[in-house]
Amino acid sequence: MAGIELCNINKVYGNSFHALHDLSFDIRDGEFMVFVGPSGCGKSTALRMIAGLESITSGELRIGDRLVNDVDPKDRDIAMVFQSYALYPHKTVRENIAFPLLMAGLPKTEIASRVDEAARILELTALLDRRPALLSGGQRQRVAMGRAIVRKPAAFLMDEPLSNLDAKLRVQMRAEIASLQRKLNVTTIYVTHDQVEAMTMGDRVAVMKGGVLQQVDTPQNLYNRPDNVFVAAFIGSPSMNLYEAVLNGTTLTLGSNSFEIPDRVFEYRPSLGGASSRRVIVGIRPEHMNDAAIRPSSAEISAPVTLVEALGSESMVHLNIDAPRVDAGDPDAVADIGSKKAAVARFSPKSLVRAGDIARIAVDAEELHFFQPDSRTSIW
Amino acid sequence: MHRAARLNVSGVLINAAALVLVLSYALPYIYLLMTSIKPAADVQQIPPSFFPAVVSFENFREVLRSSTLPRAFVNSLTVAVLTTALSLSVAVTAAYVATQYRRRVTTIFLLFALVTRMVPSVALGVPLFQLLKSLGLLDTIPGLVLAHTSAAVPLALLLMSAFFEGVPKELEEAARMDGCTRFQAFRKIILPVMTGGMAVTALFTFITSWNEFLYALLLTSEATKTAPIVIAEYNSVYGLAWGAMTAAAVLYSLPVIIVTLALQKQIVGGLTFGAVKG
Repeated sequence: MAGIELCNINKVYGNSFHALHDLSFDIRDGEFMVFVGPSGCGKSTALRMIAGLESITSGELRIGDRLVNDVDPKDRDIAMVFQSYALYPHKTVRENIAFPLLMAGLPKTEIASRVDEAARILELTALLDRRPALLSGGQRQRVAMGRAIVRKPAAFLMDEPLSNLDAKLRVQMRAEIASLQRKLNVTTIYVTHDQVEAMTMGDRVAVMKGGVLQQVDTPQNLYNRPDNVFVAAFIGSPSMNLYEAVLNGTTLTLGSNSFEIPDRVFEYRPSLGGASSRRVIVGIRPEHMNDAAIRPSSAEISAPVTLVEALGSESMVHLNIDAPRVDAGDPDAVADIGSKKAAVARFSPKSLVRAGDIARIAVDAEELHFFQPDSRTSIW
Repeated sequence: MHRAARLNVSGVLINAAALVLVLSYALPYIYLLMTSIKPAADVQQIPPSFFPAVVSFENFREVLRSSTLPRAFVNSLTVAVLTTALSLSVAVTAAYVATQYRRRVTTIFLLFALVTRMVPSVALGVPLFQLLKSLGLLDTIPGLVLAHTSAAVPLALLLMSAFFEGVPKELEEAARMDGCTRFQAFRKIILPVMTGGMAVTALFTFITSWNEFLYALLLTSEATKTAPIVIAEYNSVYGLAWGAMTAAAVLYSLPVIIVTLALQKQIVGGLTFGAVKG
């Protein structure tokens, strides 16, 4: 086992495309680190550079205490699980799992016992003599995991290993991988574009965009204290609602609505106060907007309802807030339903609002997020 | 019942169409086979008969008794096997690099391989003659192998490139992560996956060399004459030995038929490679 250290890592391709910009952070020994971001953000490139499958243009990469910039993948003591699983189609499950041990020159008896152990952990024992073509998606995924864990490497690298599975199996495998990692306590880097996977699996999550690291933190901190507009919108589902607003003293004006910001907010966001009138980007998570008819609040706004999605346990209410909406810069973001001004609120299922109503919405003003309109960074 | 009858009619029509298609391919060969087992006197009878009145193997006995044909067979086999081995080793490695490490130069390389297929072999015959003459390789097995390889490699390269396009890059990467060097990954993982593709390419290369006539005619004279030349020589200034010629042609076609049948599984596997996810 070993920690991994990235220090000012850059990747520039032959066509001058700068894929990664000064990537720097440490991954602690035994930690489960998730790289997340929209397509083209450089997360897979970063993983492949750690694997040794892509060259490093500049910067330093250390695994343990060893500088590995120019070390061959086979000599880095890391195992990788690929998105396509990359199982060897001409080999049986047993041969697939045994292959890295065979290449390491281990004695046959040890190979057999380690393959059996890996198969037992992953419940593959009954499938050991089958070829990959005869396995289901979930079983193939497990074989790929087996090939990785059997080596007892210093680190696991996983490149979107669940993206080819159906939604139900994905949830199951998500839990299995996370618990396996905790059991084996091997440093793991996991790449995904799915923020739910990132939040549920990682000890820490590195959010990337356009080859630039946006924030590395625990899932809860990313959710509660996003560093910028992009992280705020990317983490959380449905996304945070982001609008341009004006803060005048303690009064926030959001389109045609105004309400008071509690003093407590200015205590933990000291930089927010001071100016008499300033433009801000305000972020409201869907769960911090409720039906005022059920949970009245001192901070209320009203907006027409465009759509209500009843999910049983809650209702997703789409609202037309008449303030300029802020684009978070996520290239994968789905276009809003109905209107460019649409916000989403997570209402109690008891709410009686219907599409076409003008809803009174209670805003949990203590939970609002504030960002600089120019730099788009968080105001603390 | 009515529906079953309709299905039956359409089944008969499809089978009849398939039979016509098969016969259009097979009829010349069947006629060759029938002629080869006719007695020498019946071969040139007017009007010609399709089936032999009497089955006779005297044509086969005649060609096998002569010293030239068996030796030509050995030459053909040697040249075809060596050409296949050489072409495959060049094409497999080159195609792998050209497809898996794609650069502008590799695209141009593959394009040139395609262009060489467009040049008629007769146009290359004279330069090849001069080249082999200057190397002292005229009328030698290595000389003819080189000539056949030059003709077979472009097709083999294009075929192998098409097969390699279907191999995910992650396979090599996974092997490298599992402790292989690039060459070990190629040898231990990629090549075994490609057996179907290589079988197809090997068969086409073998047939190209086995059937090749023009270069063999230009570049050999006595010692290394291949079977197609010897078979063609049955039509000489002294007469046309139809019976012997057809018997020799039947014998000559057998190895290709046997190899095709032996590799049938791999060929079908190779031709459908990439059609389904592995």
